[in-house]
Amino acid sequence: MRFLASLVLASTLLAGAALAGDGPALTGKSLKTYGKGVAASDTVRVSALLANPDKWVGKTIRVQGKAVGVCEHRGCWINLASDVEGQTLRVKVTDGEIVFPPEILGDMVTAEGVWTANKLDMETTKMVCEAEAKKSGKKFNADEVTSCMTTYQLTGTGAVAAKN
Amino acid sequence: MQRVRKVCWTLHREIGFLVVGLTIVYAVSGIAVNHAHHWDANYERVAEPLAIEPVGAGPTAEVEPLVLERLGLRRDQVKTTWRASPEVLQVFQESGGYEVNLVTGQAVHRLARPRPVLFDLNFMHLNNGKGPWTVVADVYAGLLIVLALTGPLLVRGRKGLAGRGGVMMGLGVVLPIIYAVVMRLAR
Repeated sequence: MRFLASLVLASTLLAGAALAGDGPALTGKSLKTYGKGVAASDTVRVSALLANPDKWVGKTIRVQGKAVGVCEHRGCWINLASDVEGQTLRVKVTDGEIVFPPEILGDMVTAEGVWTANKLDMETTKMVCEAEAKKSGKKFNADEVTSCMTTYQLTGTGAVAAKN
Repeated sequence: MQRVRKVCWTLHREIGFLVVGLTIVYAVSGIAVNHAHHWDANYERVAEPLAIEPVGAGPTAEVEPLVLERLGLRRDQVKTTWRASPEVLQVFQESGGYEVNLVTGQAVHRLARPRPVLFDLNFMHLNNGKGPWTVVADVYAGLLIVLALTGPLLVRGRKGLAGRGGVMMGLGVVLPIIYAVVMRLAR
């Protein structure tokens, strides 16, 4: 009887493992889905989006590009390459909800989410400018920063990555 | 009461055996991810500096084959490349890649390898796969609750709830309450 009870418990756990879930569904051999995947029909070109970012604020859009940067700490963002050299767009997802692995770098990613504008205060603007100057090896003068910066990102709800 | 205690013994013993494996998974991974600010619990990351003969900041179509050649890479070993800036070309491979300064020839070879065993334990603990594992994790959590509720009823007398066991249980209950209160006051 006790052995039977143990078996019931064990099979409950195993049944859980066998149930189909709402996790990353591989729709093809080389495709990997993150979060809710993508549903929007039209893709906005990254260069068009960045040329006129305010036009898209608050809208749910889909973008596509090579993953050229990924959050090393929690996998909570990726940078997608634009169709214009040197230009990138950040896709930020909720920490822990979607985790982008380092292996995604170089994959072609289609991501969906809400285009968001973040108006930075002066202190944060200077910090961002200083970090960018440091990264590109340029000298930074805080007095030269006179206006606040607005950063844009896709607040992502899902993505699909295709291996190159 | 005797009958209740007997049921508790049975449940506690059987479930106890069943959850040994899962408890080790969650406990080991718990320690690892608690220290995520000290180390990368999932990936072993390597960054090796190297230098190649500079190829110059010409058009990407021209410099890319030269960079791959000077890094000793065949095309089929490369996923893709990206001209991050006029001076920098990034080369992406399956488990890492290179960042090359085209003007100076300075490069960094980066590797990110999943840590053996620990990567899988963390994947389960953080439920990154969602889906079926969510059910397993929920059932496991439920079983832990059963273990917690049946445990205090196993022993009678001085070592049980009425004695030392009760004091120990009180400590375990009070500790998170005190922490929660302190954290709220500190906010």
